[in-house]
Amino acid sequence: MIIQALAFYLFAGILVVSALMVISARNPVHSVLFLILGFFNSAGLFILLGAEFVAMIMVIVYVGAVAVLFLFVVMMLDISFADLRKGAMQYVPVGLAIGAVLLTELVMAYGVWAFAPDALANRGAPLIRFEGATNAESLGQVLYTDYVLAFQLAGLILFVAMVGAIVLTLRTRPGVRRQNVGEQHARKREDVLEIRKVTPGTGV
Amino acid sequence: MELLAVFLPLIAFAIAGLFGKKIGDKGCQFITCAAVIIAALSSISLFFNVAYGGTAYTTVLADWINSGDFHIKWALRIDTLSVVMMCVINIVSACVHVYSIGYMSHDEAKGRFMAYLSLFTFAMLMLVTSDNLLQLFFGWEGVGLASYLLIGFWNHKESANAAAQKAFIVNRVGDFGLALGMMAIFVIFGTIQFDAIFSQVPEMAETYFTFLGGEYHALTIIGLLLFIGAIGKSAQLGLHTWLPDAMEGPTPVSALIHAATMVTAGVFLVARMSPLYEFAPDALMVVTVVGATTAFVAATIGLTQFDIKRVIAYSTMSQLGYMFFALGVSAYGAAMFHLMTHAFFKALLFLGAGSVIHAMSDEQDMRKMGGIWKKIPITYGLMWVGSLALAGIPPFAGYFSKDIVLEAAWADGTWFGHYAYYMGIAAAFMTAFYSWRLLLMTFHGKPRASEKVMSHVHESPTVMLGPLVVLAAGALFAGMVFYQGFVGSAGHHGDDHGTAHVEAEHHGEEEHGDTHEPVVIHDEGAEVIHAAEDGEEEHHAEDFVLSKETFWNQSIQVLAANDTVEAAHNVPKWVKYLPLVMGLLGISLAYVFYMFRPNAPSVTVTSFKELHTLFYNKWFFDEIYHHVFTKTAFLLGLFFWKFGDKKIIDGYGPDGSASVSNKVANLMSRFQSGYVYQYAFMMMIAVIGLISWFVFKGSSAGGAL
Amino acid sequence: MTDFNLIPLLPEIFLSLVGMGLLIVGVSQGNVSTRVICWSSAAGFVITGLILLGIGWETQTVLNGMFVMDKFAGFMKLLILTGLVAAVGLSVRYIIQEGMERFEYPILIIFAGIGMMIMVSANNLLTLYMGLELQSLSLYVLAAFHRNSMRSSEAGIKYFVLGALSSGMLLFGMSLIYGFTGSVDFTTIGATVNNLSAIPFGLTFGLVFVLAGLAFKISAVPFHMWTPDVYQGAPTSVTALFAIVPKIAAFGLLMRLLFEPFMGMSEQWVQIIYFIAVASMVVGAFAAIAQGNIKRLLAYSSIGNMGYALMGLVAGTAEGAGAVVLYLTIYMIMTAGVFAVVLSMRRQGMAVYKIKDLSGLSQTNPGLAYPLAILMFSMSGIPPAAGFFGKLVVFNAAVASGYYILAVIGVLSSVVAAFYYLRVVKVMFFDEPADAFDGGLPFARRAILFISVLFVLGFVIKPNIFVSSSFDAASVLFQG
Repeated sequence: MIIQALAFYLFAGILVVSALMVISARNPVHSVLFLILGFFNSAGLFILLGAEFVAMIMVIVYVGAVAVLFLFVVMMLDISFADLRKGAMQYVPVGLAIGAVLLTELVMAYGVWAFAPDALANRGAPLIRFEGATNAESLGQVLYTDYVLAFQLAGLILFVAMVGAIVLTLRTRPGVRRQNVGEQHARKREDVLEIRKVTPGTGV
Repeated sequence: MELLAVFLPLIAFAIAGLFGKKIGDKGCQFITCAAVIIAALSSISLFFNVAYGGTAYTTVLADWINSGDFHIKWALRIDTLSVVMMCVINIVSACVHVYSIGYMSHDEAKGRFMAYLSLFTFAMLMLVTSDNLLQLFFGWEGVGLASYLLIGFWNHKESANAAAQKAFIVNRVGDFGLALGMMAIFVIFGTIQFDAIFSQVPEMAETYFTFLGGEYHALTIIGLLLFIGAIGKSAQLGLHTWLPDAMEGPTPVSALIHAATMVTAGVFLVARMSPLYEFAPDALMVVTVVGATTAFVAATIGLTQFDIKRVIAYSTMSQLGYMFFALGVSAYGAAMFHLMTHAFFKALLFLGAGSVIHAMSDEQDMRKMGGIWKKIPITYGLMWVGSLALAGIPPFAGYFSKDIVLEAAWADGTWFGHYAYYMGIAAAFMTAFYSWRLLLMTFHGKPRASEKVMSHVHESPTVMLGPLVVLAAGALFAGMVFYQGFVGSAGHHGDDHGTAHVEAEHHGEEEHGDTHEPVVIHDEGAEVIHAAEDGEEEHHAEDFVLSKETFWNQSIQVLAANDTVEAAHNVPKWVKYLPLVMGLLGISLAYVFYMFRPNAPSVTVTSFKELHTLFYNKWFFDEIYHHVFTKTAFLLGLFFWKFGDKKIIDGYGPDGSASVSNKVANLMSRFQSGYVYQYAFMMMIAVIGLISWFVFKGSSAGGAL
Repeated sequence: MTDFNLIPLLPEIFLSLVGMGLLIVGVSQGNVSTRVICWSSAAGFVITGLILLGIGWETQTVLNGMFVMDKFAGFMKLLILTGLVAAVGLSVRYIIQEGMERFEYPILIIFAGIGMMIMVSANNLLTLYMGLELQSLSLYVLAAFHRNSMRSSEAGIKYFVLGALSSGMLLFGMSLIYGFTGSVDFTTIGATVNNLSAIPFGLTFGLVFVLAGLAFKISAVPFHMWTPDVYQGAPTSVTALFAIVPKIAAFGLLMRLLFEPFMGMSEQWVQIIYFIAVASMVVGAFAAIAQGNIKRLLAYSSIGNMGYALMGLVAGTAEGAGAVVLYLTIYMIMTAGVFAVVLSMRRQGMAVYKIKDLSGLSQTNPGLAYPLAILMFSMSGIPPAAGFFGKLVVFNAAVASGYYILAVIGVLSSVVAAFYYLRVVKVMFFDEPADAFDGGLPFARRAILFISVLFVLGFVIKPNIFVSSSFDAASVLFQG
């Protein structure tokens, strides 16, 4: 029990600190690296909760794909975060004050947190079927059945995201040379080669 | 049938208004005239079905509003009261439409004028056929609008614009009362549908409003509020100042709106609400007193005016006073009777005056007329008919209706009834006097107009005279023919009026056989003949006795104790003959003053200088209003403008609001900086604000934390 | 899963298929097919509407209780589809004129539409969020659709960033609600909330965050800051879409959320809605005065109008809910008409947006000026135009529930608001005429303008059709 508590505070502490560093680091590459650290720690928290599947997904998707993509983008774009932050810095005191107020209030809320009388039963209801199953298995059981609507909608959202990305970025520039593999393969000798007789002393 | 009668004018208005340019002036004139004439025929046929056939009904057109307890339908309520009004409106309107073709022949916007006339007719019909107060209000405002448009029709004239605005604004004061009355009715009765109101009236007779600590009899308050509306529309004392000014409009408009129809809307309203007024005796008292005073005051002013149309306008006001005090003494039938006869002879007078003005090259001042009777004999004769009817000389229509009104007032037996009677008698005398003053000044004596004008004096074209003849027929016979129906008593069938009635019918037939006037005249003739037949039937069928009870068929309700019309048939002889005597006296005096002793008027004026000044200046109503309301309002306005507006409101309001709201807007636009992080900040602050609110409230209220 | 039944989802499924099918057509045919795809998608919306009418609107929840179909959802979806048809109809000519003729445009509108339809049918916090994001994401892209315009890109980015923030708030609120009640299902949440003896802070916080997220979507003050910038920056046809449709969906969602699961917390949410209603009305009225750009003006006008609609929610009764639905219906139709005119403000091939540009329009182009004047009168709530009745019913609902001060503020701010609506009329009718606009009103715009004006003027004759159907639809929310 005590080990669990220690682990929780360790993960949580690092998570908070790394989140702080994400927004305060001067070098944007460092920010992204701290973000990755944050992801790892939240994965740790998920493991503590017994949600190992989500933890793994967290590592694979967020760390492995999303954050690395970020990293590439940041490295390639050469953004000066210092410039971006110039205007925002004057709001830091206000921001801190607001943050402090929110924190106090949330602490007040969590400090007296009590679950609704029915909460336990509500939470347990969907789980009864999966007593003893691993959580990958139980996710697999519900994802395409109980939550098929949400799943499909998520698919639609990604689809729209893709369409949107193409709409906003794809440009057809005239006069750009590209490799066309099909064309290359379809090339025949007759199309490109012409044999001429050259009379000595004259040009082609 | 009722759909034809009501909606044809609307259709005509729509066509003439929207496609006026396409179909041309001639097309507009044809369509509007045809529509209104057909509507008039339909309403005459309705009149015989409903008033004599005794078949009242309501035609529901559509649902209008259904909101909570508030249910309103578009519906046409066809009962005797409304068909009487429909007949009056449509017949007079048809005459005016036809007349306008001639009168407005020199005007540029003939199509527009005809369209407005049709619009007015439709709105007025909507008003009288309404099944509920809201639809009535719709018509009420509609006629107000049409009246505004028509008074200001010659909008190049400054005075016409001012008059139109005055009419609209003064009417608005009255409309305010009407709207309040309507709301009060909804509060008390929970409905504004007529039948539903009337059926509840007896139960509600003892209901009281509590307001500012006092208790007020609900029905009296409602009655007074509605009456304020009627005062405004019908130009009764207090809110009458717009009517004379409204004479700035073209003369056909004056005849249609300001003599025959719109101004009688107030009378109609009170008559329509008769079941309610019967339980509000105090309100009726006010109605009587205001009506009687108006009759008297307006007559005194009429004595001194020189503008031919204004004289007739004041006489209209005075006659409306008669109608109101008749209503006030519960003689609703008598009031409606006078309304009907008055519509005919007053429209006749106006259109006749229009014919004179037309002949005199748009001159309206009687001091610049005179000596033209030989040149325009038909107009002259028709003006005589109108004046005789107005003065109440038998057997003209005005005699019957005015007499029954005065007798009913006397028969009421209360102090205000007697007050009304004497005021009415005095007004009758003055009416006769100024009518003949008008006739004599206009047509007799030496010509006072310039040579040029005199050489142009000519009789009006047939298209203008035709309608005049129709109206003259009404002014001659409407009184006798309809006496029995409107006010006749079941028990007093065949008294002296009745005899006159029968003789007159035959006379009427002959006269109409001789006339060779355009189409319209035949309609009217047909009506009279029908009426005559009807009268004969009535003589043959012994068991069917036409009386006001069967005629009105519950559309007007009078408590048995208040039935003054019934009592009017039993008043002393002198009460009956006094109005006639006074009328004859007035006529003779006018002859003395304006024919035989031409210096008498000026002598009288100098000897009664103060009185004359008072009358001539219309009892200083305009001046008093100018000083009391307009000036005070102006001063108040100035005060509010200089101090209230400039300093306080502009200071804190518009300018201020401009400056403050500019500041606010600036502040907002400072927030609205375009920087995303500021927007995000705002959102966060708002969320935290809301949360803090709950935290604060929760802890202060000791709620569950 | 016992309630597996796809019939209630048929309209959404059909619309997705239409969207994807048209995308394939577009990809193979290229941008020249934009017009065809636009009209096909409009036809798709119409057919979807017919399917919707065909599937029956009895209350039923399907797919593990995540999706609910009832009269309310049906009516709102019908409104949404109508709005979408109008939005597409308004766009076609405009995107061609502005040189952003790309076939993805109608496709994104289709997907936004699916999102909106899901929103009003959501019976679960997950469905709610998915629908909301599907709609928002499509709209973000649409806002930035004019890639060559700085303003459009800026609008897209702003909308996206702030939208993401609001989504974050929404999710945080949902997590609190889930944490407290242990469920994301509306029915279960409702039962749990109703069982409580006192409302704890945690749940209230959750509700505040959720409402903040949704208030952003309906651009209610103080979550409105994006609205003027995005309305101004986005292509006008997209602005029209923003003004007409998403608000209806967001309101549908908000109403279902407040009246079904959280009815037991009405004491709490009434305070929030009260505040944002007042703030929206006041800010909408005052800030609009200073605007010279008609698109910004309409942005503030929409903010103010959302305030009035929220007033009906505060009432917390079936009557109030019906009033909101009616108000939204009227608002949608009026706004469509107004945008038909705004889209036609072009000189020498360039779109113009200043209110000044409307000067003397009554002389140069009465065919636009008179309808716009009528619509402005209606917007400012002058009887007997339809806008008056919209305001009347919400004020009535507020008064009936005893919120007199709210109603008074509403009346006062509508007086202030009348000033800027009527200023437009004044500019059109009394100012010296500016150069005439380019002629030629495309058929779709003309039709929309005509229908809108006809509705505004004709409403008074037969108000019951709309009143009873919207009240009927809203009453479903109060049966459970």
